Amino acid sequence: MPEIDIDPTTRIEGHHGITLQVDADGTVTEAKSKMEMFRGAEIVTLGRPPSDAPQITGMVCGVCFLCHRFCSSKAAEDAAMNADNVDFGGPPANAVRLRDTVEGIFYLWNHAVHLFALVGPDYSDAVAGTGFDRLDPLEGDGYMAAMANQRKVMKALAEFGGRAPHPVAYVPGGLATRPDVSTIQAVKSRVQEVSNWLGATENVPQVIENVQNGEFDPALGEGLHDIVSIILAAAEAGAADIGQGPDRFYSNGMFEDPESGELFLKRGVYRNGSAEELTKQEIIDGITEDTEYSWYTDDSGGAPTEAKPPEPAPEKDQAYSWGKAPRFDGQSMEVGPLARMVITGLDPFDLRGTLGGGAAESNTLNRLIARAQEALVVRDQVMGWLDAIDPSEPFMADDWSDDFTGKGVGLMEASRGALSHYMDIENGEIERYQIITPTIWNLGPRDGSGQPSPLEEGVVGDVVSDVENPLTVLRTIRSMDPCLACSVHVQSPENASKTEVEPVTPSIGGGGCDI
Amino acid sequence: MTTRRNFLRLVGSTAAGGVISQYGTEIARAFEQVAEGDMEVVWFQGQSCTGCTISTLQAQYPTLEEALNEFRLEVTFHPTIMPEAGEAAIESMSMSPDILIVEGSIPTDIPEAATIGGRTAEDWVTDLAPQSDIIVSVGNCAAFGGWPAAENKKRLYDLGENVTGAKGLQFEKRKKGGVLGADFTGGAGLPVVNLGGCPPNPDYVLLTLATVLNGHVPELDEYNRPLPFYEPLVHDNCMHRGYFDRGEFADKPGGEGCLLKQGCKGPYTHCDDQTRLWNDGTSVCLNVSAPCIGCMEPGFWDRFSPFQQEMEGSPVLGNVSATQAGAVGVAAAAAGIGAHLGRRAMGYGKFESAEKADAETKAAEEDTE
Repeated sequence: MPEIDIDPTTRIEGHHGITLQVDADGTVTEAKSKMEMFRGAEIVTLGRPPSDAPQITGMVCGVCFLCHRFCSSKAAEDAAMNADNVDFGGPPANAVRLRDTVEGIFYLWNHAVHLFALVGPDYSDAVAGTGFDRLDPLEGDGYMAAMANQRKVMKALAEFGGRAPHPVAYVPGGLATRPDVSTIQAVKSRVQEVSNWLGATENVPQVIENVQNGEFDPALGEGLHDIVSIILAAAEAGAADIGQGPDRFYSNGMFEDPESGELFLKRGVYRNGSAEELTKQEIIDGITEDTEYSWYTDDSGGAPTEAKPPEPAPEKDQAYSWGKAPRFDGQSMEVGPLARMVITGLDPFDLRGTLGGGAAESNTLNRLIARAQEALVVRDQVMGWLDAIDPSEPFMADDWSDDFTGKGVGLMEASRGALSHYMDIENGEIERYQIITPTIWNLGPRDGSGQPSPLEEGVVGDVVSDVENPLTVLRTIRSMDPCLACSVHVQSPENASKTEVEPVTPSIGGGGCDI
Repeated sequence: MTTRRNFLRLVGSTAAGGVISQYGTEIARAFEQVAEGDMEVVWFQGQSCTGCTISTLQAQYPTLEEALNEFRLEVTFHPTIMPEAGEAAIESMSMSPDILIVEGSIPTDIPEAATIGGRTAEDWVTDLAPQSDIIVSVGNCAAFGGWPAAENKKRLYDLGENVTGAKGLQFEKRKKGGVLGADFTGGAGLPVVNLGGCPPNPDYVLLTLATVLNGHVPELDEYNRPLPFYEPLVHDNCMHRGYFDRGEFADKPGGEGCLLKQGCKGPYTHCDDQTRLWNDGTSVCLNVSAPCIGCMEPGFWDRFSPFQQEMEGSPVLGNVSATQAGAVGVAAAAAGIGAHLGRRAMGYGKFESAEKADAETKAAEEDTE
């Protein structure tokens, strides 16, 4: 049985490879998702004051930088609110609104970069002969317009954060920055500009018709035409029939109304064919991590509220990734925009229902469609959220202090999926820290019962018709928008493969990479 | 020599972020010149977060895509944006590039902590660097070890102070050496050019490339950083400087006043971001009342942590407290000496000599012992 090793997986964030067992017909029978970088974020965080945690963990990833800073701040604030020896009442409503709004703008950035720069090329003319040459990397008009527009979104983020990536204004207790009316206006006009390039949500049906007929009407939205091109090219390439995940989804919920506490994107799980809304505590209670196939000691697993920081064990038999295997009620769960759309019950224009084989089907096409749908849905809310911010009200709590003893959990939805930070503080010092990232939910290793991660399950059954060119597998990996930097992992030092088939993907112009 | 200095001074002494656009023609010419000569570039990632790539993608004059595409620089390897994957990606990589750009630190105690194509980052870099003409470390991690080298304070699990032994290419924090050794030079005779920062300003990346592509030798400081970018002191150009001179300090992050007591590391940090600004002249950390964290400096992180605490007793600031500093500033201003002289009188400011850098290296060595 041939073994295909794809390493590096490019056009994702970070170091990742995948080993596939393929039978005589080219059907993938087993996959091992390998995470290939380790830095030790949780270990570095220990012994420092809680306010340093968002600074450190925020810089764990330069692609999804805001979410870690935000989630870590939420964990620190939760710990302070749970502490007996301080009276911390939580961040001001303005801070809750603004941080959520900024993450909403960030969704727009991440989804655009993902769709155009990371997965888009797989459906471009240059890479896949689709005829969509606007999607060609570093050459197509659509790709270049997306790069220009991602820059504008980053400027909007810099108005609040001082710079992007790695803005530094978001701290436990709220925000250092105190945006005035003109700053908020500047952000709105930048977002509006990008929004105009994207096009109005209501234009989606007309744009689908345009793309099907080979027409291009910039007045309906240049970005929308290109995103629809990606979706239709993916549908044409059979993306609905590959990458079938477990059909189980989990979301921490996102975009909270500070007055009512209501979440715009719901918190809960989807399993056995239906969505269940869950409380924060029910989510916390349901999660465990397994280290059977991870380069960590066996006792590094367990409930993240109790487990010790992961202890490296590179000599461990059978292990192949230093990603742990997080599970909810013992089950693997897919996270990301598709999970949020399914749990919230949103399928605008019935796109997943009609193109993707069903609104709650876990497949490669639906992940792309859901990401596009969410970009539009959240974009349509952001201006209203910005309007709700009151520059005359405080952005930073008066009573924040590092000096307390308490335990806290931060739950949120990063653009890539469910993110949680766990922080134990003793006398103003971090005693225990755990991070569970979206990517280890989707791309982690199997667990002790042999249950694979959604990616490992997703590529099994896919047919690699050309072992030299396993584009289907790459499309599935990228559909999950992995971000490896924040998944504290390392590759097995013993990378033994019996029969190695060298995979080749098409490149621009056939020769070397001319970029 | 004169041309080099003029070009670097011009691009380094910007009064506002947008000024860089005035020199777009010269930068463009630099990239156009190399387009005729099949220049090959490898952008390699060690223990990275891709933040330096994302930062560079925000460059405007030229944009990164223009630099890569229009000016036809041949980037034979960049894991985030290249079309190929797997073996094809590895095969496309030039093994003797004209320019080697490294993002992320290189783990040396646990070399397997960063691998690409089944090989360790340490193996890749030690193979590639001697075959490269010019080597540029982009970001604090590749230059000095960055956050992967931040201290394992609890000394958990018998791991060292530096969990994976993460180093920069030619420095480990403030200590010369790194993965390639203190005496290493590339084919063009230069040491590794270090662009500190978490991340560095995108202008630094493209302007440094433009400089070397123009055949100029960049003027480097004692940490091998291009001097024009890394000479100014953040504190000198801070919008809150008036508060400092009057001794008015904020009582919380985002509060009214100088942020020194909220842990601002502006008096210890060298870069021209305060005048250059970020994201095409949009803003900078201190302009949104976020204290400077010192990310441009070797020794960032632990040298400046805890981040929200004032740095007391530093060899840079001496034993002068913030309040005293303000008082001296006020007194100096009142005496007509001016803030600049007042600051010098207190004995802090930029590192002025190579001797001082060596003293820093020595101090850093003593710290780790």
